[in-house]
Amino acid sequence: MSASQSAVRSRAEAVQVSRTLDWMILFTVFTVILGGYHIHYMLTGGDWDFWTDWKDRRLWVTVAPIVSITFPAAVQACLWFRYRLPFGAVVCVLALMIGEWINRYLNFWGWTYFPVNFCFPSNLIPGAIILDVVLMLSSSFVLTAVVGGMAWGLIFYPGNWPIIAPLHVPVEYNGMMFTLADLQGYHYVRTGTPEYIRMVEKGTLRSFGKDVAPVSAFFSAFVCIIIYFLWHFFGRWFSKTDFIDGEGL
Amino acid sequence: MAATTDSVKADASEAPLLNKVNLFSGLMLYLVFYSFIRWYEGVYGWSAGLDSFAPEFETYWMNMLYIELVAEVFIACGLWGYIWKTRDRNVMSITPREELRRHFTHWTWLVMYGWAVYWGASYFTEQDGTWHQTIVRDTDFTPSHIIEFYLAYPIYIITGVSSFLYAKTRLPAYSEGLSIMYMVSVLGPFMILPNVGLNEWGHTFWFMEELFVAPLHYGFVFFGWATLAVLGVVNTEVDALTKLLKKDLA
Amino acid sequence: MKTIKDKIAKLSFVALLLAVTSAMFYTPAASAHGEKSQAAFMRMRTIHWFDLDWSTDEVAVNEQMTISGKFHVFAGWPETVDKPEVSFLNIGIPGPVFIRQGSWIGGQLVPRSVTLELGDTYEFKVLLKARRPGDWHVHTMMNVEGGGPIIGPGKWVTVTGTMGDFVNPLTTLTGTTLDLETYALDNVYFWHALWMSIGAAWLWFWVKRPMFIPRHIAVSSGKADTLISPLDKKVAMGFAAGTLGLVMFSLGATNEQYPITTPLQAGLMRGIKPIEMPETTVTVKVEDATYRVPGRAMQMTLTITNNGDSGIRLGEFNTASVRFLDADVTEDESGYPDDILAEEGLTQSDNSPIAPGETRTIEVTASDAAWEVYRLADLIYDPDSRFAGLLFFFDEDGNRQMTMVDAPLIPSFI
Repeated sequence: MSASQSAVRSRAEAVQVSRTLDWMILFTVFTVILGGYHIHYMLTGGDWDFWTDWKDRRLWVTVAPIVSITFPAAVQACLWFRYRLPFGAVVCVLALMIGEWINRYLNFWGWTYFPVNFCFPSNLIPGAIILDVVLMLSSSFVLTAVVGGMAWGLIFYPGNWPIIAPLHVPVEYNGMMFTLADLQGYHYVRTGTPEYIRMVEKGTLRSFGKDVAPVSAFFSAFVCIIIYFLWHFFGRWFSKTDFIDGEGL
Repeated sequence: MAATTDSVKADASEAPLLNKVNLFSGLMLYLVFYSFIRWYEGVYGWSAGLDSFAPEFETYWMNMLYIELVAEVFIACGLWGYIWKTRDRNVMSITPREELRRHFTHWTWLVMYGWAVYWGASYFTEQDGTWHQTIVRDTDFTPSHIIEFYLAYPIYIITGVSSFLYAKTRLPAYSEGLSIMYMVSVLGPFMILPNVGLNEWGHTFWFMEELFVAPLHYGFVFFGWATLAVLGVVNTEVDALTKLLKKDLA
Repeated sequence: MKTIKDKIAKLSFVALLLAVTSAMFYTPAASAHGEKSQAAFMRMRTIHWFDLDWSTDEVAVNEQMTISGKFHVFAGWPETVDKPEVSFLNIGIPGPVFIRQGSWIGGQLVPRSVTLELGDTYEFKVLLKARRPGDWHVHTMMNVEGGGPIIGPGKWVTVTGTMGDFVNPLTTLTGTTLDLETYALDNVYFWHALWMSIGAAWLWFWVKRPMFIPRHIAVSSGKADTLISPLDKKVAMGFAAGTLGLVMFSLGATNEQYPITTPLQAGLMRGIKPIEMPETTVTVKVEDATYRVPGRAMQMTLTITNNGDSGIRLGEFNTASVRFLDADVTEDESGYPDDILAEEGLTQSDNSPIAPGETRTIEVTASDAAWEVYRLADLIYDPDSRFAGLLFFFDEDGNRQMTMVDAPLIPSFI
């Protein structure tokens, strides 16, 4: 290869080549991250995300932000610090939610006929925008972990409440009180999922009053900060471009 | 860095840098194939897939499993063998333009890998969840497993390894040594397939309920993290492409 | 040429969409439920279902049906299955082809998990409302934490009509009447579409300009700061402020619209009432039991003592949902599923009444293809080769008594 030769015929072609590669890279990052993030999220917080009768004030609020801040932190570590692209969190979350929606619509509804108002995903976009904006304005992963990570945990429940609130209206049914979400879980039979595996409203957190969601969100926010740090360094490691000698492999 | 309005005319006698027909045909191939699979699953999952002891289960599902396993072995051997056999032994002597063309072909492979990972790890994996909520698991080879574990996963593995081999055999940037993150991004998701052994052992041993967040599934999670190594692949590629384009983009 | 190609491409896409849509609205003609895979010992030694009644075998969408009967929680519960301290009365159907409008054990509504006691017998009822057309195998089913689903007998039920007609009306405690099938769906779509659009707008703001290679060149040559303009910062602050504003506004508006909401309801239900079964006056001792593999028959030698005041005859052996009847003594009038009913499957060396105070040793054979079809014969491959089941005796007035048997089983291969 001669260093004097050029790969492109003109600057215009160089720009076009660069732009075409942008789209191919973005598509690949989007789909591969979607696959990895989705598998991670569905197996660490999926049951809370699948069903309205799992979306409670305690464990859903606690678990979902903690397990979902992972990939955004890692992708931000690459896209911002190498390219100054401040959409690491949004691209992850958008990919995840598109993947989830395709599945909930075509499969949960289209194959096994669970109503969509029973199996829609959680909304993670508000936290992702805040996380990206904090990183962009501060250019500091420490500040992003503390401020952005905390915001990620705190904003999750209020960001989802307008969607789930109508399903928390109470109803009297055969002499017992249910929320509509409980009733969805009871009516729409999940043959392989008995009621007792639901992890909702456990513990005595209610001793301190009825507003338990903020306490859960605050704890979640605290853990999100730590998880952000951890996954930022995962992201850095995964961004490496090192080669190893193939001998002995 | 500013956008340009200059027209870019390719030399008619020269192969284009990006073969768009290959790119779109590849994407459509996966889309059409998986749409067919989804249709097959929609119809025969219900009519023949609920009872693994019924004769129709053998006809429609176990036979599908046998056919796909054999086909995957043949396709993997053929494709990987072809890419290796036709490798460029003088990869360091190619022209920059040829190198750029090969990067585009490589990115066509990577786009296919991303597309295949989406179908395997996102679409068919979460879909497996809804099937398990719906039926009582009565075999390791449920219709959704026959598609998820033994069709969609091998397809992304075949695609990913092909992409890796293409880079290794045809691009100067990968000719010496092995890219750690490329290996992680291909081998990590590959390990999800052997991890099925843990999954099936656990489900058979303890007869667990269909709890998706059960620790038994964390093997899938761990290997799913390896997809993040695509960031390292992107960075390696951007480094190589920067060398090719830097002076023209400046 | 190009026009023809475009047309073919368009038509192919339409055909693809039609194919996927047709699969989505496909109505199945036949399907079973996979109960045969469960280990024989689990079906023989855990929950015994009897006196079952499916109120109908054909029902239209929106119409109701019930399954009722009794189940006995076997005292010889196997060690490998956790005791039914946390159990859920489920229904074995392929997903929400019916909705479960109610389920009761001992007259108590059981939407949540319950504690069951070994050795007790319970009465149950499940009320279903048809939702999706097709032929469905409808099973009784009990889920036990640490044990998994324990499937009872299943019967084919045909649902007719169209799913689009299905409605699920309810009235809330705040006085609103709604259809739970579609309730709040527009709200879900609206908020998700709005938020995803905002996310997409943020992404678009950045991806519309050159991304990877030029930005990498700039960052690696120390010009990273030039990549973010003051306008970009303003737009970013706008997105952040807009996000916070929208979250706060929507939270306030939602609380105003739904001032009364309650947490999800959860918790184990204890104190479920069993049936008071009449005191049994029959004692049965299993002298030996063998399963003859070639003949698909189980042979038991039973020593039966009648301590009552009326002659009794053995009429039924019920194990793992399969009923073996002695046709001379009793017959099924409940319409029990044919494939698990052996109407003449029980033969005895002497089936004359056992007089009060008499002790008699008889050879009893339970034979039917169901041993193989329902894989009960696989019992001989279990690590704890025991069988168990219910025996039903009838006196001269037709009164019934139930006793349990639980004994080792020896296979015979010749």
